[in-house]
Amino acid sequence: MSAALATAAGGAPLALEARDLGHRYGRRTGLEPLSFALDTPGVTAITGANGSGKSTLMRILAGLLRPTRGAVSLTVGGRSVTAAERRRWVGYASPELAFYDELSAEENLVFAAEARGLEGPAAAAAAALARVGLGARAGDGVAALSSGMRQRLRIAFALLHRPPVLLLDEPGSHLDDEGRTTLAALVGQERERGMVLIATNDEKEWGLAEQRIELRGRGLGHPA
Amino acid sequence: MPSNGSSSGAAVWAILRKECRSEWRTRYGLNAALLFAVTTLTGVSFAMGRLTDRTDMLAALLWVVLLFATLASLSHAFVREVEGHTLTMLRLVASPTAIALGKLLFNIVFLAVIEIVTVPLFLTLMGAPPPRWGAFLGLLGLGSLALACASTLVGAVISQTRGRGALFAGVSIPLLLPVLAAAVSGMRSQWAGGPIAAEARLLAAYSVALLAASLLLYDHLWED
Amino acid sequence: MGMIGRWLLFLWIAGWIVAAFLWAPLVPVLGETTRVLYFHIPAAWVTVVALAWSMGHSILYLRSRRMEHDHQAAAAAEIGILFCVVATISGSLWAKAMWGSYWNWDPRETSIFFVLLVYAAYLALRSAIEEEERRARLSAVYSAIAFVSVPFLIFVVPRIYFSLHPDPIINPRGKLDMDPRIRIVFFAMLVGFTALFFWLQSLRVRVARLEHRLDQA
Repeated sequence: MSAALATAAGGAPLALEARDLGHRYGRRTGLEPLSFALDTPGVTAITGANGSGKSTLMRILAGLLRPTRGAVSLTVGGRSVTAAERRRWVGYASPELAFYDELSAEENLVFAAEARGLEGPAAAAAAALARVGLGARAGDGVAALSSGMRQRLRIAFALLHRPPVLLLDEPGSHLDDEGRTTLAALVGQERERGMVLIATNDEKEWGLAEQRIELRGRGLGHPA
Repeated sequence: MPSNGSSSGAAVWAILRKECRSEWRTRYGLNAALLFAVTTLTGVSFAMGRLTDRTDMLAALLWVVLLFATLASLSHAFVREVEGHTLTMLRLVASPTAIALGKLLFNIVFLAVIEIVTVPLFLTLMGAPPPRWGAFLGLLGLGSLALACASTLVGAVISQTRGRGALFAGVSIPLLLPVLAAAVSGMRSQWAGGPIAAEARLLAAYSVALLAASLLLYDHLWED
Repeated sequence: MGMIGRWLLFLWIAGWIVAAFLWAPLVPVLGETTRVLYFHIPAAWVTVVALAWSMGHSILYLRSRRMEHDHQAAAAAEIGILFCVVATISGSLWAKAMWGSYWNWDPRETSIFFVLLVYAAYLALRSAIEEEERRARLSAVYSAIAFVSVPFLIFVVPRIYFSLHPDPIINPRGKLDMDPRIRIVFFAMLVGFTALFFWLQSLRVRVARLEHRLDQA
């Protein structure tokens, strides 16, 4: 199965669809119902006011949050992927993603690769770290990394298993100019082979995208 | 292209190794647990003195000490994830079942380490007569397995609530009482030279039942 | 349940209580304490029914995720624990009257106490979670695990435990040679208590549904 899907993810049917997707946190609406369908490789920006549900949407798409209404369907290689399996085909990076402080950056990624069952976990980890420019700091404990480096680590984590779908929630946060350039290059590489969704309020990051999904939630402090 | 990855087996093993490594590096969990177990034991020994001819009380006290150690320490495995905010990362790299099984194996090892220190100390301090080692160790093993199975599941549940230590104890107790009863009864019996088959079967059956139910329930543990 | 239903229930239970005192004879061994039969055992029965109802709905919730099941499970637990306390206390008073001590850890006392612990743990867990969906899901998971423990707690453990404390207490309750009148009152009270449970249950569930609608608004 692995080999067939591997070639498929490079160019055959890859689709991400949301149908009437919404989420409430008790009384509050986290995400107003929305629907969309993406079926070609490329970059999509997800924008909206604070509190409109960008992060909620990303969590739902990653399979971390079960939505209170609606459904998500992900198709990879022409085959439908269950919610439980989505984590294998999706790379997720968001500000609340944290790593084990007592382990080094490399150890964290090697663990992630081993847990995911990737072949050659050490090599995969090293490759991911190199792509984000953290190769030199691989052996440093996570606690010693600056916020910018931690952000790079998050992106490396998302890329680790070479997924066809990337969900990047505010990927540019804490990054210096060099980091942003690296990020833009990475997005450029990934857009050829799969879908990249970037949730952001930053214009520089919008610019990377071909299309935009605007969330019109109420937001915090906005009257109905 | 290793975008798929595979088995839960690899994940369980990777998680177990990571837990052991993390625990070894930080050690505060193990230290606290050992200290607590030894303190409880000291209290018991101080209060009761040597009980060489009261094997019924010895059996009960041994399991009370182990029960307390369980209640004080086995929620640690999940609490650490929640406090470090690393649960998101973990959920992305492994299925809920793999996570819970990995934690369960870790809890078993953790409990075993506590017992290696506490049990000989108990036997010595309390002046216990030499046990029938096969039966003694068998009961210890089966009882500990059951304690770990119940505690791991409850720990996973409690780590997502506002309550912590006291709630963990209160919520685990109904599940742990069958273990206590069977283990104490069996322990008494082996000191008295009687059979332990019934109690051993009970402990084994209970562990299997808990494990089977857990495997069905782990998938429902983390959805937000 | 309509007005008529409630009045009927009230009269049913009240009527049979009067009958218990005036009409049904005493069991020779138990003397005046016979009367406890009509409260204690129906209360214990309802405790078990409520527990089964609660656990069943917990499992249904996990499969369907319909909040109605959570309302049913939580309501049954809240009412069940009330009946459990009644059963425990009435049992304890009976034990004092019959055997001279309030608590002996005999198999039945132990069983009812364990059930009380399970209820308490379930409700304590619920009270520690604010988000509705998470509360429903986690308490259902706990309920399902407790479901596995309950057979062990109720049947196996008391037997083992009792062998640890072989007090020669004669327990006549299992061997009652029931006079037909006693049997009639007893079953009538059983029916009455069960109806009472389901009525209280329906009230509590209606409140839960309203609270839920309020939350969603």
